[in-house]
Amino acid sequence: MKENNPITDFLKNKMLRRTFLKWSGAIGVPVVLGGIGVKQFIEYKEAHTTVSKKDIPEKIISTCSVNNCGGRCVIKAHVKDGVVVRVSTDTQEGDDLSTPPLRACVRGRNYRKMLYHPDRLKYPMKRVGKRGEGKFERITWEEAVDTIAKEVKRIGETYGPESRYDNYASGQCWGLHGGSAAVRKLLSLTGGFLNYRNDYSSGAANVATPYTYGTNNSGSSFDSLLYSKYIILWGQNPSEMIFSTPYREYLMKAKLNGAKIVVIDPRYTDTVVAFADEWIPILPTTDNALMDAMGYVIVTEKLHDQAFLDKYCIGFDEAHMPKGIDKKESVKSYLLGDKDGIAKTPEWAERICHVPADKIREIARNYATMKPAALIQGWGPQRHAFGEQFARGGAHLACLTGNVGKLGCWAAGTGYWNRANIVSPFSYENPVKASIPCFLWTKAVEMGTEMTSADGLEGTDKLKSSIKLIFNMAGNMLINQHADINKTRKLLEDESKVEFIVVSDLFMTPSAKYADILLPGTTFFERWDIGVPWCFGDYVVFGEKTIKPLYECRDEYDVFAEVAGKLGVKDKYLENGSTILDLVKESVKRTKKELDPTFPSFEEFRKKGVHHFTFNEPLIGFKKQIDDIEKNPFETPSGKIELFSKALWDLHQQEDIPAIAKYIPAWEGPSDPLKEKYPLQLIGWHYKRRCHSTYDNQEWLEEAAKQEMWLNPQDAKARGISNGDRVQVFNDRGSLVIDVRVTERIIPGVAAIPQGAWYSPNESGIDQRGSLNVLTSQRPTVLAKANPQQTNLVEVKKV
Amino acid sequence: MDSVPFKQQNELIPILIARKNFYQFLIFLFSEPKNNEYFIEIRDNGKMNELEEMGKGGQLLHHFFLSLTDEKIKAEKEEYSRLFLGPGPIRAPLWASFYLSKDHLLFDESTYQVRKFYHQYGLQYIKENNEPDDHLLLEIEFMVSLIDSCSEETDRFQINRLLADQIYFLTTHLLPWIPAFMKTVIKNTESQLYKGAVLLLHDFLTFDLEVLCEIKEAILE
Repeated sequence: MKENNPITDFLKNKMLRRTFLKWSGAIGVPVVLGGIGVKQFIEYKEAHTTVSKKDIPEKIISTCSVNNCGGRCVIKAHVKDGVVVRVSTDTQEGDDLSTPPLRACVRGRNYRKMLYHPDRLKYPMKRVGKRGEGKFERITWEEAVDTIAKEVKRIGETYGPESRYDNYASGQCWGLHGGSAAVRKLLSLTGGFLNYRNDYSSGAANVATPYTYGTNNSGSSFDSLLYSKYIILWGQNPSEMIFSTPYREYLMKAKLNGAKIVVIDPRYTDTVVAFADEWIPILPTTDNALMDAMGYVIVTEKLHDQAFLDKYCIGFDEAHMPKGIDKKESVKSYLLGDKDGIAKTPEWAERICHVPADKIREIARNYATMKPAALIQGWGPQRHAFGEQFARGGAHLACLTGNVGKLGCWAAGTGYWNRANIVSPFSYENPVKASIPCFLWTKAVEMGTEMTSADGLEGTDKLKSSIKLIFNMAGNMLINQHADINKTRKLLEDESKVEFIVVSDLFMTPSAKYADILLPGTTFFERWDIGVPWCFGDYVVFGEKTIKPLYECRDEYDVFAEVAGKLGVKDKYLENGSTILDLVKESVKRTKKELDPTFPSFEEFRKKGVHHFTFNEPLIGFKKQIDDIEKNPFETPSGKIELFSKALWDLHQQEDIPAIAKYIPAWEGPSDPLKEKYPLQLIGWHYKRRCHSTYDNQEWLEEAAKQEMWLNPQDAKARGISNGDRVQVFNDRGSLVIDVRVTERIIPGVAAIPQGAWYSPNESGIDQRGSLNVLTSQRPTVLAKANPQQTNLVEVKKV
Repeated sequence: MDSVPFKQQNELIPILIARKNFYQFLIFLFSEPKNNEYFIEIRDNGKMNELEEMGKGGQLLHHFFLSLTDEKIKAEKEEYSRLFLGPGPIRAPLWASFYLSKDHLLFDESTYQVRKFYHQYGLQYIKENNEPDDHLLLEIEFMVSLIDSCSEETDRFQINRLLADQIYFLTTHLLPWIPAFMKTVIKNTESQLYKGAVLLLHDFLTFDLEVLCEIKEAILE
């Protein structure tokens, strides 16, 4: 039994004597404690409604990601009480190829985890440490907008508009708007900016293919493959990188229809696993040797389509050369070795590319006889020192065999095709006409004023300034995806070169680390849009805003409207629509009116989530020209297919820019003397767990496919390396460590690292994540000034 | 139900105030360290030497405040960004669902559950559906609001209920993730301030639960 007042006794004598409360009871509240922490609760208005969470219906909203994947899939967000509780994908049945299912791959299944990942950039930040050090401080949006407006103005006034640059960025690029579009509009309205041309995907092919065909639109719609008897996928891997969401449906159907599918690739890819009758392993950068030998077989065995060549092509044989050109410069003469004394025999090629001579004969004969045949070229193989030759060489083969312009054929080359479009209402006109090849932006930072037409500078003889201001909106080309990371890093760390860098992104990417002002962007769940596939798909996907932007994340369109306000051009900036939703509605309205009367209304589109354009027959590349070349000449100077390009001949650079496609041994290729020091060729590939570098920080996807290097057992054994070992990969440009997978799925002499891992240097600058570009080179391809990132020699050792 | 006055309010109040003060001290510790003067004022007027008696956490904090310099505060600001705020991979997120959900995400089940609990008290996070409701500071602020309600109450049953609710909130929402949070912070930092803060947080919450149970028992008697 306690005393009279047990509580009082307990409270006074026991509790308050305890250390915690003794202290906190006695300190009083220092003034500051009361003032810390803003009150974060408000009155809950619906306190008396008794709806429990179980009763809240789950709403399914159809939306779409617009990253730089070739596919565009349907993402269904299951939303409850304002929160995405799970995602699913298209439930459309298969079989009907006019409405192919647009199902998400492993990457799409992860989107909820991306949305609610704790590492999302949440607030605007400014750099406080040295550039690249990664030290930032939270700021208000007002400060961010103010700073950007001031710097845009200051740098424009100090160095002129050519000093301002919106860097190549593809994290949010296949919709109607995005950070880059917003920035360009703003810069256009305030004096302009330095343009870039071309891309990092098919840069060499984009410039080379038009020399042959007059255009890059050398592809055919996928339904044409249903009529093919023989399909060569040359360095193309749609099973992993997707390329186009319905593509796999068509390949499967083509296979069911009896097509034989051959995949040429240094790796036994998932595409080989899924579709191929045969895998032809080849050494990187030597594709043109194989092409030459196939041509040799086709010509010497008289399997070529002479009538086609006579009628449509320039430069095949002596009888069809441009005026004033030595007859020995023809394709046929080259293949037979008339001038250089080297017949491009299968035995000659085998020594170079490591495809057995008999195998070369077999695929050459098959390709020339199993018609219609489709030679489809991926873009990985053209990202090498002489990638231009790859694109033109493929086109040569298509023409030699007459596999152009007919149902079931494919003209090779870059291979774009497109027949379904929507109107993009967002537009800008840049008053600056100067442009650089996108891959040479680091050169334009370092010595922009010294660049000339030899560097691909166009629109001006000379730049008035090097690049001083960079916007990098949802992109990782600022360091991670550009070649030679260590070189770029030094350049960016020098704050006297680029004076101001703005980055907008979802996560702290390696590029975001180099921001001076860092902006938190939105995911596709948090904004309106319409997603379009790369050129290759007959559909568009509605991107409904699923939830409001989280944290302080904002759409760049709105952010730059405010910047435009500070610079007095807001009305002009908003002329196409005051909100993103306006842009989407305008696009739907105008598409229906201007392009396709069957296009759904905004509400119909929103409800269906996807619109499939329908066509009665396949689109066949160059059918028009082949059916009637008199009426419909090719868009080349001669109006014909230019196997021999007079325009290239006139460049007088025959050694590395020949007028016909040729095998040219690559620097850092298998015959470079540097191989003594660095004996392995290194390539990258688009990994199924990432879209380029997007999602590298997503743990679930790392579980699905770990970052690791492939190495053949022969090469592993020679270095005492076992499966699962951690190895160092290095050359003169840099060094990384990575786990190795020893596998016969890769040709001996080659190492392969999935591209896109986020550069994570340790204190000595050695990348710890396997970020390929610490090893790649900034030396551009000769003609296109494009990225050669598959051209690398390295050595590997166990750590 | 008839109202039954609570006669020991005067004795209970000091304890409630002491608890509230402590929770506010925790809010200070886990807020973004923006203002150096706050640290200095707490050092000068906060009887920091007594912290030393409060276990390992208190000791670390005592040492931290004892040797406070501008340099040190600057370093802790950077540490706060690295651990809790970003940008970049944050080492020890301040949200419950990161520790309680299978996939270590925000806006997961525990976010909903705690939101529901706030709603029952007529409270709503001002950033509902914009930032997750299960942030450490918000959960602590909710505890403070329960303590405030308790201080204003004179009815014995109501006080009893509010004490029970605090126990419930601690056991169901706030405490379940603190051990995992503590381990994560300790594993990822060498900071005296944040190591000390998280140990103190853990020890105090465990202690406060005991206190609440004992008070409740005492009142029932």
